[in-house]
Amino acid sequence: MLTAAIVAILVTMVLALIRAFLGPTEYDRMLAANAFGTKTVLLIALAGHALSWHSFLDVALLYAMVNFIGTIAVMRFFEYGNTRDNEGSGSTP
Amino acid sequence: MLLGFLVLIAIAAIRLRDLFAVVMLFGVYSLLTAALFMDLDAVDVAFTEAAVGAGVSTVLMLSGLRLTRRWEEAPGHRPPLPLMVVAVTGAALIYAMLDAPPLGDPTAPVHQHVTPYYIEQTPLEVGVPNIVTAVLASYRGYDTFGETVVIFTAGLAVLLLLGVGGGHSFRPGENAIGDQTVLKPVVKTLIPPILLYGLYVQFHGDFGAGGGFQAGVIFASGFVLYDLAFGEGNARAVVPPAWLHRLAALGVLIYGGVGVYALFAGKAFLDYSALSANPVAGQHAGILLVEIGVGITVFSVVLSIFYAFSGRRRKS
Repeated sequence: MLTAAIVAILVTMVLALIRAFLGPTEYDRMLAANAFGTKTVLLIALAGHALSWHSFLDVALLYAMVNFIGTIAVMRFFEYGNTRDNEGSGSTP
Repeated sequence: MLLGFLVLIAIAAIRLRDLFAVVMLFGVYSLLTAALFMDLDAVDVAFTEAAVGAGVSTVLMLSGLRLTRRWEEAPGHRPPLPLMVVAVTGAALIYAMLDAPPLGDPTAPVHQHVTPYYIEQTPLEVGVPNIVTAVLASYRGYDTFGETVVIFTAGLAVLLLLGVGGGHSFRPGENAIGDQTVLKPVVKTLIPPILLYGLYVQFHGDFGAGGGFQAGVIFASGFVLYDLAFGEGNARAVVPPAWLHRLAALGVLIYGGVGVYALFAGKAFLDYSALSANPVAGQHAGILLVEIGVGITVFSVVLSIFYAFSGRRRKS
């Protein structure tokens, strides 16, 4: 049961990775990286339970947090980029 | 399986010219590395890798990328010679691997030297359940002190290169995300748990995974999150950069101060048993103080590097 779930998660990780490699637009890559992070959290939670790793929930929690912050940083990156290009010629000191 | 993923990602990261995609792939790469560390039962290392590699360095690379161009130029040199050097080095390393004892072999040299001593003596001498913390902060306190100084020096170097907040004044709320009615409350509710989690990692390092390095990074990423969502001026108003520079030095001073105190008490440098009449209690106090020093330094260096990057404007 747990093994089946782990295998399923690994398969979705492969799919997300393929999207991150191909990804024609940056939004595809961003979403793929985010999905990959979520899958890693799930993988650690599942495998940690199955193989009785040591304090795996702490690490899973940290991953979830890191993933969230990373995604927001990426969003900011694009937002900054756009505003810079729009106002770049007008208000540069 | 995971190793195969790693190789694929590394090849893709080399091939791609879009630096943004490379940063994303590196984030995935370091998450995977951390998962591998988990599999090897090295929880503390996995913790550090996730916090530093996947979290903070992605944010820092993105804010560095903001200052430069997004597309890498095609390399001007010829590839055969470097390829040959790399191939020969790799072949030599793989050849050396053939002689390495299998993973987990109890007769391997690495398990013969000081490891049995650490495992047997830690409960008696240090009394800390997490042996990694005992080795890191007590037996190898010298090395960790060196690492803390290195982090401090690295932060200093970045600040010297990028300038200490010169020339640009920040208004509160500048560059804040506009009307993000979902994101802002979510970030607002998430920051206290993140900071609390950072404190938990800091003070729980004696018992489980964690310690000053990880806690400092987690604490800093809470402030980075605040900065990202609410604009640069606000985060700087809460933690001014000038404070951070002093805090970074304070952390190193706490660590070194514990060592010098031990010297004055007639013991060796960083011998924590000088801190209390009971040697085990002294070890506890010493590890706690030293970890706090490490945490403060890491927190302030990470946050001031982030400030230094995000405070700069690209000259177009």
